[in-house]
Amino acid sequence: MTPQTTNNLAFNASPILEAKYLTRSFGGLVAVNKVSFVVNNNEIFGLIGPNGAGKTTLFNLITGLIQPSSGQLIYKGDKIIKLRPHQIAAKGIARTFQNIRLFGELSALENVIIGRHIHIKSGVFNGVLNIPPAPIEELKTKHKALELLDLVGLSDRAFEKAQNLSYGDQRRLEIARALALEPQIILLDEPAAGMNPNEKQYLSTFIRQICTQFNLTIILIEHHVPLVMGLCDRIAVLNFGKLIALGNPAEVRSDPAVIEAYLGAE
Amino acid sequence: MAGFFATYGNLIVLMVLGAMLGLSLYLPLMTGQLSLASPGFYALGGYIAAILSTKVFITNSSLFPIPLLLLEMLIAGAVCGLLGILVGIPALRLRGIYLAIATIAFVEVLRVISLNLDITGGAVGIFGIPQPFQTAIEYLWIAVPLLIISMFFLYRLERIRVGRAFAAIREDELAADAMGINPTYYKVLAFTLGAILAGIVGAISAHFLNTWNARQGTFDASIIYLTFVLIGGSKTFLGPVLGGMVFTALPEMLRAIADPEITGLQLPTAIAQFLQDGRLIIFGLLIVIGTIFFPQGLVTPDLFKRRRVRNNK
Amino acid sequence: MDITLFLQQFLNGLSIGSAYAIFALGYTLIFSILGIINFAHGAIFTLGAYFTYALIGGAFGFSGLLANAALPVQLPFALALILGSTLAGFVGVAVERFAFRPLRRKGSDSLLTVVSSLGVAVVIVNVIQYLVGAESYTFPANIYGNLPASFNFGTVEKPVPIRSIQVVIFCVSVTILTILTYLINRTKYGKAMQAVAEDSTTASLLGINSDRFIVWTFFISSFIAGLAGSLVGSSVSIRPTFGIEFGLKGLAVIVLGGLGSIPGAVLGGFVIGLVEAFVPADYSGYKDAVAFGILFMMLLIRPQGLLGRRFVQKV
Repeated sequence: MTPQTTNNLAFNASPILEAKYLTRSFGGLVAVNKVSFVVNNNEIFGLIGPNGAGKTTLFNLITGLIQPSSGQLIYKGDKIIKLRPHQIAAKGIARTFQNIRLFGELSALENVIIGRHIHIKSGVFNGVLNIPPAPIEELKTKHKALELLDLVGLSDRAFEKAQNLSYGDQRRLEIARALALEPQIILLDEPAAGMNPNEKQYLSTFIRQICTQFNLTIILIEHHVPLVMGLCDRIAVLNFGKLIALGNPAEVRSDPAVIEAYLGAE
Repeated sequence: MAGFFATYGNLIVLMVLGAMLGLSLYLPLMTGQLSLASPGFYALGGYIAAILSTKVFITNSSLFPIPLLLLEMLIAGAVCGLLGILVGIPALRLRGIYLAIATIAFVEVLRVISLNLDITGGAVGIFGIPQPFQTAIEYLWIAVPLLIISMFFLYRLERIRVGRAFAAIREDELAADAMGINPTYYKVLAFTLGAILAGIVGAISAHFLNTWNARQGTFDASIIYLTFVLIGGSKTFLGPVLGGMVFTALPEMLRAIADPEITGLQLPTAIAQFLQDGRLIIFGLLIVIGTIFFPQGLVTPDLFKRRRVRNNK
Repeated sequence: MDITLFLQQFLNGLSIGSAYAIFALGYTLIFSILGIINFAHGAIFTLGAYFTYALIGGAFGFSGLLANAALPVQLPFALALILGSTLAGFVGVAVERFAFRPLRRKGSDSLLTVVSSLGVAVVIVNVIQYLVGAESYTFPANIYGNLPASFNFGTVEKPVPIRSIQVVIFCVSVTILTILTYLINRTKYGKAMQAVAEDSTTASLLGINSDRFIVWTFFISSFIAGLAGSLVGSSVSIRPTFGIEFGLKGLAVIVLGGLGSIPGAVLGGFVIGLVEAFVPADYSGYKDAVAFGILFMMLLIRPQGLLGRRFVQKV
């Protein structure tokens, strides 16, 4: 193990997202408690922890679905708390959901096309009357969406309703939809949930591939520890809303607090 | 043919207007928002036309000039659109049944106000609204193009960015938000488009019906338009168009069936009388049966897809 | 404002408010276990009034299928009231059975159930109209037997007369409120109902038969609607649609109090009754708009209502 290399990487890389003393409480329960960390450009950043540790709450805070009770979030130098989710998405942070939230009645293709929303400029007038640049733009959008479906291996299911796709296909479609935003950061909430070992292996390779291909930063919540350890550059460990460890996989694995948290939770 | 139009001219115009009222309720529903505000805007649009044509645009000609009618429609649409934005921004923070109730309250408040103002003629309403046409059927010259434009607009809308944003919000507002779609903006847009359409239809109706009063914008009307959409089908614009036409014609059809002079059938008196006087009972039963057995409505998008697939093979 | 006039308006407001309260409770009971607004509730309110009117031997008019018909019996008002309300209760059960349960079985969208209840309302209102016509009927003046026309709640010098019917409405409503509070807080039915309202899955795991409780809830809420309809109807007059208007007011009441909140429905009923009573005479035309104005404002400021719990969406 050479922890030094990853550390150096972290020091050299430029920060893209920073959480400062981020806190969110629901009634008496502090779901996220003074969590601070920096995510660097183009890294795969893992977020692990026992159930109820506050991982999804952290995602919801970053994407603006809920507001922090206190603390700050800084994305590329700008404060992003108080922004609405769609504003954050437009700034370049896309996500998937733990309990898959596709537009079920719409086709796979339409789902991805909707992900292109912020990149289409034609308004109601041009669109309805099909006046340039609307037709060309529609064509390009469709083309781009088909490309993304191809990338996740769903081009043959493009016209299938999203709700009729298999579980694994739905997870991949959600990633394609998030990629359609051309984001800088993608938050993946348990992307491997419900997948078999083969699919997990494939997914792991795939995530690494899109990270390089699109120059993405990926933050990932995952329960499957081997996948996280093998894939992530750095890992943050949450327990009861608190950040208890942060470092490269080897460091995290040997951290006594982490072992304690996981053994305690079993 | 001339005889047919003479007998059913009225009904045909009402069917076309009904189709558009269905569409006015369908528009907010495209974003998943159940708004029952259409009758309010419909009544307002009618009052605007009634007041303008009886108090402002006084002409000597025997027929009311069509350009003025078009101007009234424009004004009614604009006023209803503005009110739609004003009401929509606060109201559309509400969801589901809360929004439905808020819009019912909106319609009721407008109704009571119109009952009490002098300019709207109080409880009696406004009479003698001038006619732009010689016969009822000629109203189709205005109504049919408007319906075609509305349908074309919706047909295209469902295929472009705005329509897809509507659908995304309907399917999952939170996910749509996370995909960069501003839910408030699109919900208010859909609501306002519905308000504009209802207002324009109101302006035509006021002339067509010759009188206008507070009974035009009631809770009952909300239910009827809702039926147009939900029984017709709420997933494609063809649903409310069909629903609006069929359900506007239904009471008349039942009356016609009961009339032996039209069908040549001599139905037992009790049944014939029930078809005539009890047609609203049948209407209500159809709503209940429709929701149970046709939850998607009569016209669904899948209907077309399946046919398309078959044609391809 | 003159103190006697104030008192009079206040007491009248309490009386109509109590009727709003018990009527709205019916909405609330059904909303808390099914999560839907039952728009047929207002129609059942009307139906109860017609049942009671028929049972006291009231005659029907010229139009409609049953023109000039009247029952051979003339029951005393109290008995007719209970019997009429019971019949309304049974209609409520039938509505549940034929218009709501099939949708529940299919797991349909709650919006469809709302539409179905609207359909039921249309059917009931028009069946009434078909049978006995659209004209309005007034209850005979002597239904309260030996009660005077009004009670004086002031002194001899400064009288505060309140119509007897208003006093009766208030007394019956408060009795109903007391019985219901007891039913809900103290009995097995009430506990079970609360359990179903909290979480129907858990409730069924606890061995509570949801269907049976839903049927009971429909019976009770429709019984009360019938009762309220008969009482309010006897103080004004009855038409096929009068319950629909009252039903819309009831909506304002439950939203004001907080959807699904039982104390909220009661509080909302009294608030709207009192506010309406104090609308100045010059603006009486706007009286009907007051409830909806309050409702609209309330929804914008505090959608969960005065006593409702805030609904949190799970991400």
